[in-house]
Amino acid sequence: MRSILREALHTLFRNKLGLAGFSILLAFSLMAVLADVLASYDPYEVVGPPYSPPSDKFPLGTNDIGQDIFSEFVYGSRVSLYVGLTAPLIASVLGTLLGLASGYLGGLVDEFVVGAVDVMLALPSLPLIVVLAAYLGPSLNNIILILAFFGWSGFARVVRAQVLSLRERPYVEAARAVGASGPRIMFKHILPHVIPLIMANIVLGATSAILTEAGLSFLGLGDPTVKSWGQILRRAQAGHALDQGLWLWVFVPGLGIALLGTGFTLLGMAIEERVNPRLRFTRR
Amino acid sequence: MLRHFLLSRLLRMLVVFFIIVLLNFLLPRAMPGDPASILANEYNLPVETVRILRSMWKLDRPLHEQFVAYIESLFTGQWGYSYKYFPRAVYELVMERLPWTLLLQGTTSLTVSTVGMLLGVLAGWRRGTRADVSITVSAILVYAVPYYWLALMLQYAFGYVLRIFPVAHAVTPGAVHASFLEYAADVLWHLALPVLAVTLTAYASYTLMTRNSMVDVLEEDFIFVARAKGLPERIVMKHAVRNALLPPLTMLAIRLGHIVGGAVITETVFSYPGVGYLIYESIIYKDYPVLNAAFFMLAITVIAANFAADLLYAAVDPRIRYVRRG
Repeated sequence: MRSILREALHTLFRNKLGLAGFSILLAFSLMAVLADVLASYDPYEVVGPPYSPPSDKFPLGTNDIGQDIFSEFVYGSRVSLYVGLTAPLIASVLGTLLGLASGYLGGLVDEFVVGAVDVMLALPSLPLIVVLAAYLGPSLNNIILILAFFGWSGFARVVRAQVLSLRERPYVEAARAVGASGPRIMFKHILPHVIPLIMANIVLGATSAILTEAGLSFLGLGDPTVKSWGQILRRAQAGHALDQGLWLWVFVPGLGIALLGTGFTLLGMAIEERVNPRLRFTRR
Repeated sequence: MLRHFLLSRLLRMLVVFFIIVLLNFLLPRAMPGDPASILANEYNLPVETVRILRSMWKLDRPLHEQFVAYIESLFTGQWGYSYKYFPRAVYELVMERLPWTLLLQGTTSLTVSTVGMLLGVLAGWRRGTRADVSITVSAILVYAVPYYWLALMLQYAFGYVLRIFPVAHAVTPGAVHASFLEYAADVLWHLALPVLAVTLTAYASYTLMTRNSMVDVLEEDFIFVARAKGLPERIVMKHAVRNALLPPLTMLAIRLGHIVGGAVITETVFSYPGVGYLIYESIIYKDYPVLNAAFFMLAITVIAANFAADLLYAAVDPRIRYVRRG
């Protein structure tokens, strides 16, 4: 465990973009933790006249029912971080198990997993997610489950490919020769080598989870009881914010989504580059 | 090999199609109230009409017979009636929207893949130079930008402040066009912002993919040999590009699917009268028959785009390296 930590720090400080990504994530995590201190108001409370332009009292103005937009924004970071971490985490467990089984066992299991991954890739995922969310009803946890369901295939693909190359390595063969059981080889000897790659993909998957949740909320399919950045954008759009020149109302939550997504992407790419050095800028 | 490739892709297309159809069939039936009784409540239909609708849609029959009837109806266009715009037929509502989606998504797919691949080739070819770093870093930065947000900001800048481009609709509402050319110009003018917004964000994944593929190919022996033979760089580049574009082309299918699937959000931001906007409207009005039909149409478009890209790939790659590469 300590070596993983040291490796992580090493990766970060050698890679400027990765460090930038990490800093962005750190900043938003702080915002989420310190939301009660940073926000001047309860985001659910009506604290001023509707459609107030930005002022000292309301840095980003107020929304169509008079809630403080800056406070909404600060609390929104919690939702995005929550969605961004839980959805790919659930997907990774599912995908890793299927990828391990598929790569190690081969045969019919492999045929089935490969076929299912192939189909998942070809599914029109966004329209499907939209329709499922419309039928299942607006709830944040429903959305997370839907996102996880559409995310497992990427993990299964990556893990399977790794397992296929690892299982022929001498040390695995040696383990098999001394009589280690299938599950023991899979979880004890192969899984640890796949974990860095899984971590990269969880971090990268966070971006698409955050973007999709925001998109669903923007369409009105999000959880109306939870203030997310997509939800703020929806109110802004429904309240014709741009028409009235209240562009900060749209700009700031969208920038939040973009920055947080970029943070996850940069960090994910730094980890991936460490695992797969051919992606580097310079020839060595 | 070619036959194997095409057959496997055809099979995948059929499985995807079947999943879509099955979901479309099951989801509405898992909801309380059948279409006939909802229409009856909403519009005070006479009992006799409801009875006729029920038997027409076989709602009084067991589930498997309903499924057969449903499949039949898919091919005959008997998709039921809109809850919101009754007595308008769902089929009609969807079909008048489809051309706009095809126009918008077709144009966007073209611009996204062209811009994305060109920049990717350039970055990979100039690996390690300032051009590479700036193209790659900006692609990474743009990668996570929500396209609907960029669309909204472009609307603000070009629509509300500068007033150069329209922020909604596919043609100027109520306008009478003197000639076809004038009409076409109006359509293009309305196309500008949505295409721009999606292109400026979606090109990034193509660029990153093409660059990495280019970098890989340039390290291969045949490039080394080509350089050793003293071939001009222009020719070497041609060899490299031909090979480097194959992986992005396989991904083209999936990416096209994502772009077309994004229609739901793009069209909503611009009130663009396509199938995606129809999905949004039917969610708002809880118009489930229209929601299902519009989703079906969009899904078919995605599947067709996927298959077209697969065919393109088969045509471009002489080897059809269809190796199951995990």
